[in-house]
Amino acid sequence: MNFFMLVVKQLSKIYPSAKRWAYRFHGGVFPRYNKSLSASQPIRPQLIPEKLILPLQQQVGLPACPIVQVGDKVKKNQLLAKPSKDPQKALSVPIHAPTSGTIIAIEEATLAHPSGLEGVCIILQPDGANQAIENALEVDGSLPKTPVELKSVLLKSGIVGMGGAGFPTYAKLPNERGRIHTLLINGAECEPFITCDDLLMQTQAEAIIKGALLTAEALGAERIICGIETNKPAAIQAMKKAAASTSVEIKEVATVYPMGGQKQLTLELTGIETPHDSHAVDIGLLMMNVATLTAIYRAVSLGDPLTSRLVTVSGLGLEKPFNMDVMIGTPFNSLAQAAKPKVKLDYPLVMGGPMMGFQVKSNEVPVLKTTNCVLANPPEPVDMQMPCIRCGECMDVCPVNLLPQQMYWYSQAHEFDKVEKLQVFDCIECGCCSYVCPSHIPLVQYYRHAKSEIKAIHAEEKAVELAKQRHEFKLARIEREKQEREARLKAKKEAVKQAAAKTEDSSEKTPAKKAAGAAAAARAAAAKRAMQKGNKPSSGSDKAMPSARLKAIEAAKKAAQNSELEAGSTASMKSSTGDAKSKARQAAQKAAQKRAQKVKAQSEPANKDAKTNLKSESSSPTKEPSAEAISLDLTQTSEATTASKKEAARKAAMQAARAAAKKRKVSSSDHQVSSDKPSGERSDNQTHQQDENSDKRQKAMEAARKRAKQRQAEKNQAADNQENT
Amino acid sequence: MIEAILIFLALAVLFGLLLGYASIRFKVEGNPEAEQIDKILPQTQCGQCGYPGCKPYAEAVANREADINQCIPGGNEVMIKISEITGLEPKAMDEAAAEPKEKEVAFINEDLCIGCVLCIKECPVDAILGATKMMHTVIEKECTGCELCVPVCPVDCIDMIPPKVTPNDWKWPEPNFLNEDDR
Amino acid sequence: MSQSILSSSPYTHNNQSVRKVMLQVQIAALPALIAHIYLFGFGIAIQWMLAVATALVVEYVMLKLRGRPVLPFISDMSALITITGLVFCIPPEAPWWVIVTGSAFALTFGKHLYGGLGYNPFNPAMLGYAFLLISFPVQMTQWALPIEYTGEALNLLQSAQVIFTGQIPGLSMDMYTGATPLNEVRNGLSQGLSVQDTLNNSALSSLWGLSSWGWINVAFLLGGVWMIYSGVISWQYPVGFLGSLAAISLLFNQIDPATYPPVDFVLLTGGTMLAAFFIITDPVTASTTPRGKLIYACGIGILVYVIRNWGAFPDGIAFAILLMNIAVPLIDQYTQPRVFGHNR
Repeated sequence: MNFFMLVVKQLSKIYPSAKRWAYRFHGGVFPRYNKSLSASQPIRPQLIPEKLILPLQQQVGLPACPIVQVGDKVKKNQLLAKPSKDPQKALSVPIHAPTSGTIIAIEEATLAHPSGLEGVCIILQPDGANQAIENALEVDGSLPKTPVELKSVLLKSGIVGMGGAGFPTYAKLPNERGRIHTLLINGAECEPFITCDDLLMQTQAEAIIKGALLTAEALGAERIICGIETNKPAAIQAMKKAAASTSVEIKEVATVYPMGGQKQLTLELTGIETPHDSHAVDIGLLMMNVATLTAIYRAVSLGDPLTSRLVTVSGLGLEKPFNMDVMIGTPFNSLAQAAKPKVKLDYPLVMGGPMMGFQVKSNEVPVLKTTNCVLANPPEPVDMQMPCIRCGECMDVCPVNLLPQQMYWYSQAHEFDKVEKLQVFDCIECGCCSYVCPSHIPLVQYYRHAKSEIKAIHAEEKAVELAKQRHEFKLARIEREKQEREARLKAKKEAVKQAAAKTEDSSEKTPAKKAAGAAAAARAAAAKRAMQKGNKPSSGSDKAMPSARLKAIEAAKKAAQNSELEAGSTASMKSSTGDAKSKARQAAQKAAQKRAQKVKAQSEPANKDAKTNLKSESSSPTKEPSAEAISLDLTQTSEATTASKKEAARKAAMQAARAAAKKRKVSSSDHQVSSDKPSGERSDNQTHQQDENSDKRQKAMEAARKRAKQRQAEKNQAADNQENT
Repeated sequence: MIEAILIFLALAVLFGLLLGYASIRFKVEGNPEAEQIDKILPQTQCGQCGYPGCKPYAEAVANREADINQCIPGGNEVMIKISEITGLEPKAMDEAAAEPKEKEVAFINEDLCIGCVLCIKECPVDAILGATKMMHTVIEKECTGCELCVPVCPVDCIDMIPPKVTPNDWKWPEPNFLNEDDR
Repeated sequence: MSQSILSSSPYTHNNQSVRKVMLQVQIAALPALIAHIYLFGFGIAIQWMLAVATALVVEYVMLKLRGRPVLPFISDMSALITITGLVFCIPPEAPWWVIVTGSAFALTFGKHLYGGLGYNPFNPAMLGYAFLLISFPVQMTQWALPIEYTGEALNLLQSAQVIFTGQIPGLSMDMYTGATPLNEVRNGLSQGLSVQDTLNNSALSSLWGLSSWGWINVAFLLGGVWMIYSGVISWQYPVGFLGSLAAISLLFNQIDPATYPPVDFVLLTGGTMLAAFFIITDPVTASTTPRGKLIYACGIGILVYVIRNWGAFPDGIAFAILLMNIAVPLIDQYTQPRVFGHNR
């Protein structure tokens, strides 16, 4: 291998394209690196700026929740904001104070984001004392034995992937030991200008290796491979020295952009091509940036949260570029000023390297946990954009082997479905295509635009589908309610009629039972009809309705029938007079007891229903449930299980409450169930359930009132009787 | 002469059989047109077309009972798509409806809300939460922006506002390219 | 620079541009141009200058008519490549209006009417060439003879006289024009002569074992190899084209040497090398996927052979390329490369 590399190296002097043979992935470019600008300088001592701006959202996922007030005095490493909700789902990480000082504001400020949007930030005014809480994470210095232990420390320390993507590190790790067989260390640093990882490896190789070893130990990984580009000989040497007596393998990889891409470096180091639809973790690989590993080491062994990081401040517009251990939250401008700009900084600074970075809207934006470079390159005259001549240069350099010009063609024509078919979502936005385009077309921006459009289209589709279902459901519900009401009315009328007929020619012996029985039969028939009617539209119009939901609806209907029967029986009671009264009362009592039992019994199957409902939805591969799953918002799907569990619990609670209420025959005040965010189809069920509930409750109230009247009447009669006698 | 007639007769029979087979084999079930139309409608369920929701309108168009230019939220774009599906001539949209509006969602000013539940009844997708005499609120994610709730509010506390853009749903703008006028 | 939000990374470029690419192609064609002047006289130089003048006028007018900025587009040099391709295809002593109409047609109908550079489905040079072949068959077959026949190439004045007046006082047309080797073989075959006889009869191999036409082709080959080396063109085009042409001619030559010419003759006559390195490599009209490029080039190679041997024209380059241009979208559709991490 090494011999081959040597040959390639010599050959590339005569034939430049030969460089491509020295690595495994397709494409790649060889930009002017300009790394010596900052790499030749020693790391500068830390700078304490006038104020630190700490955005609550520094990474993908949800923002953190501040736990400090304006005016609070804080010490270095003190927790300022804690992760919101369930951190595993919300991908939220805590934020700690980078130095001691006062919180002077919690307000909106421009974010270091390509959008230039504003977001809530904690503004900290340093007092200069830099008083620190030692061992803020309260670690005992012992190494974590399991991934879960490690993850809890990582979560507390607020560590995110420091290579650029900023995915919370704890969320990246699997819970089970042994799922990762190889830990990969990313020391490639392929972007031009950036040298912070290079210097980190030179100065803190020990910490990196220790961090890697303890991570591998906790995860049960067997191999540790570190990839470093050949253009960092000092770093390679330092790392080799630090790794000498350990199991860490240091591998030199060819200097080519984008060697530091996760999938590219994985292929280079292991020969494994990560499938497009799975993460590296799924195939037993985990890659971590050297800076992340240092942070892990510091968190686990010293209890230091992530409050600072090594940042390269470089660029052609700076007199004295440097690397510095910068506090998170330091404004870009103060760093750039410290590097002595050649001309006034009236052009936007770039966060990250020239290939993948982005220009910030305001130079006052703060350094984030993911900021590896602050770049000050004065604007150059931009060549005019020419039409695409289909030269195919972009395709030759694409490390993912896409067809950039076809994607460009379709995204320019707004045919986003075709762009998606060309796998635009596999694009890593490395910028190689734009870099080589002889027509100077901003290809990457077209893909970014296309990606956000496609995402919006999908979100829209989901929303439309959801709206459709919810509307259909509402219509079905209204229809059903109407029919139920009608059926109920009919049943009542008939019962009244029959009872009246019976009482007219009633002898003492005419058993109210019979009347009640007849009435009950009539009601049952009516209910059946109602049920059929109710079923018809739902099964006819809503073939689409998943069986699970139908089940749920039917269960609800049964409940409705039950209560209908009850209502009916109370109605019949009213009509029965004389001696029948006492019997009726007994019957009513019996009915009430039965009802209570039924309700009890019912609450269990209802719960079961809810559960099976969930199961069938999550597991059944039929079209409809899957479409519904799609109709859920992304975040909702992640919350789905918890939400549904909660819901099941709530249902059970509601039913129990109802049963109790009925037993006591107390008509409770109309206590509306304040529902949480209903989500997707479940919320349909839920609203449905709610309506059923309120229906039932109303009936129950009616019945109770009638009963009360009856009792009153009885009392009166009894009094009359007494008087008579 | 006779051979030619026979040959053509045979061919006619053959193709007839083929056509007959195809009509059975590739028969299209149901009323696909209504479904197709329903699919491209914006599903705001706003009822501005005069039908109670998008599906009834789609069915009405499929049965040629309704004009194709009734969908206000969809604007010209949807109208043209419907005309493509139905094969009907495109028809001009009414006044301001030609251009589809930016998406907006209802927002209830919670200080003014009196808890009358009128808007809850009106909402076609059950996206408003609340109870009698209690403050109501809109589930932003589920609001279709149909504006049906706006006129029924007795205290005018519902506003239509565009949803706030966050870094998570921010869209990269399209590069302004050279041949803009060429397309 | 207030457009900070609109511009996206990367903020660096390898400084390649369309103009530079086109210039490199033009430079690569220089050896052939010089060889042509040496072997066939100054005719081609006059034709080339006529074509450049026409191109400038046509480009200017068309850009104005289309409402485009003139300077950036006229200086992208793409018209230069088109007319260079065309000039090498027509007889160097053809009347002046041939090249003028040809290049005007090529640029107008081949490029601008489709929306300009990058939007044309057909190779403009070949479209112009095909147009001339069909419209002016007589003028297009009166090829100037190289020095091995005439002893001395025409000088600048004589060439100009022929091109502009159609004759040279004191010289008859037959003295300096004749059939190309491809034509001769074709004529020979129609008269019942075998290919070997025709080739032996004529003094084709006079200059260090190669005919003048052969030397022109070698010059193109040189320029082409340099372009592959410097990454201006992809290797797939020449390899696919020459490979398939060589393979099919070898096959038929083995079957019947009397009817089908040998491989070296096929590769070094007509516009073979010109097409291989300068015409089919025009990226706008060629297939762009790696496999697609090979298929596209192979298709042209086979079509050229078919047209040369069984078609109505002695050289089938133009029609072969135009036919394969039509097939490009289809080829591109079915030869998409496997994306990283995907199976297929």
